Amino acid sequence: MNDTAFQLENVNFSYLGKYPALRNIDITIKQGQKISVIGANGSGKSTLLQMLDGLIFPDTGAIKAFGRELKESDFNDESFCRDFRKRVGLVFQNPDVQLFCPTVKEDIIFGPLQLGCGKREIEKRLEVILSILEIKDLLDRPPHQLSVGEKRKVAIASVLMIEPDVLILDEPTAGLDPLTTRHIMDLLIQANESGKTIITSTHDLHIVEEISDIVYVFGQQKCIVKAGEPDIILKDTALLEAHNLLHIHTHRHKDKIHIHPHLHLEHHLEE
Amino acid sequence: MKNNFIERSIIGALSFLKESIFAEEYAARKGFLQSLDPRVKTVTFLLFIVQVLFIKNILILFCLYALCLFLAWLSKIDLIFFLKRTWIFIPLFSLFIALPAIFSIFTPGEALFAFKIAGLKFIITRQGLSGATLFITRVVTSLSFVILLSITTKHFELLRVLRIFKIPQVFVMTTGMCYRYVYLFVEVIENTYLAIKSRVGTSLHYKKGQSIVAWNIAFLWQRSYQLNEEVYKAMLARGYRGEPVVLNDFRMKARDLAWLFFALIIIVAIFYSI
Repeated sequence: MNDTAFQLENVNFSYLGKYPALRNIDITIKQGQKISVIGANGSGKSTLLQMLDGLIFPDTGAIKAFGRELKESDFNDESFCRDFRKRVGLVFQNPDVQLFCPTVKEDIIFGPLQLGCGKREIEKRLEVILSILEIKDLLDRPPHQLSVGEKRKVAIASVLMIEPDVLILDEPTAGLDPLTTRHIMDLLIQANESGKTIITSTHDLHIVEEISDIVYVFGQQKCIVKAGEPDIILKDTALLEAHNLLHIHTHRHKDKIHIHPHLHLEHHLEE
Repeated sequence: MKNNFIERSIIGALSFLKESIFAEEYAARKGFLQSLDPRVKTVTFLLFIVQVLFIKNILILFCLYALCLFLAWLSKIDLIFFLKRTWIFIPLFSLFIALPAIFSIFTPGEALFAFKIAGLKFIITRQGLSGATLFITRVVTSLSFVILLSITTKHFELLRVLRIFKIPQVFVMTTGMCYRYVYLFVEVIENTYLAIKSRVGTSLHYKKGQSIVAWNIAFLWQRSYQLNEEVYKAMLARGYRGEPVVLNDFRMKARDLAWLFFALIIIVAIFYSI
């Protein structure tokens, strides 16, 4: 049995044919793996995630999903499109993009309705997701009235409702308070433990270790500069510094000024 | 920057949009009309409005207007607010349109009152006055029903009601998205304006002001274009294929049936009296 979820071979992509967004990308993602993609702003992370979700396609190179090469024309075939969308879900970076319906409820059930899910099944899934994410009170509210954290939870709920095998998240914890971040992290870890593949793009290094089996570091050249296990990547401070993922921190201790690289990970490493 | 005309206009227009369109303050109250099924409410109100157009007896029109005010009171609507909302602008505008009709030049008939301005004699006729009163009462009554429906129903429910009139789902969805994103752009304009204000600090030459406004319009256009592409991708990502599927989860209650019955009795009674 082929246990590969995605395989990208020498993928290149550019916007409008002249602004490169991905260069020579080679990635293999096994089903059930936790993958994270880290890199500074504009390094091509979001483009990669949209490609994995079959929204954009390589200019050159090939992308395979579940052993089959993905081509734009394949999505004209209704049964293939439906099957792929059921198996892969993407949470967009900007929840305002993802929440386009007049109410939270309509947004959450949009996916399963389009994918032919029955009314009873939708109600059953809705009940479970609302209690997991604790968003029952938001159901009849318009998305524009929600806080950033609530919007992000609803955006995640709208994708979890599809029950995809692969969950792709574009900066799921950006701008969130620590408690909501923790909540979302627990949810992702739980989803992975139940067999789902989790692919996350982030530049929040706090969360990388927990949500990654493999970390891919993207550079400003829109290519992968290093890939490896999280503890190896996170110890490579020179690499992280070179790609704007860590900064020099100055602070004062008992009248002495300390200057050191700031990774926010010391408390994890001590454990 | 001084509190100038443009600033006041922008702030005024944005706060009006937020309060009148997005607040849904009255729709959230627990009143009579708010508790009705939006489908039943819309259909009965539409029937009332159609009848208002055909009624020639001004007393029946007054009764319908009184019913409208009574429903507003039952629905916990502030009557002063409601009267302001229904009387300002459109009825006043129609009053200006109807005004010439009261004079004998346009509507000949039995003279009620005559006066002279600059040597010209004006005669107000009974037929002219009753015609104009009928016209204004029709406008006010139908407008009151429309406003009462819109302020006691949440916008998303009104959009869903459109489905029962077999309006294409794509149109309903586009309208809903338009409503959703206008709010986002209202916020963008507000924040952009505050950002300019915080950085400019002093009064600005009007030419520079014009150029900032022009750039903001261009920026907003570009932003909406980008958003359009992104939202479409988000729809595709969740299985959208050009024809949206929706869930019909309206439920009729005993109260809805009682209101429907009551409204139909009034409608039939008026029908036979006209």
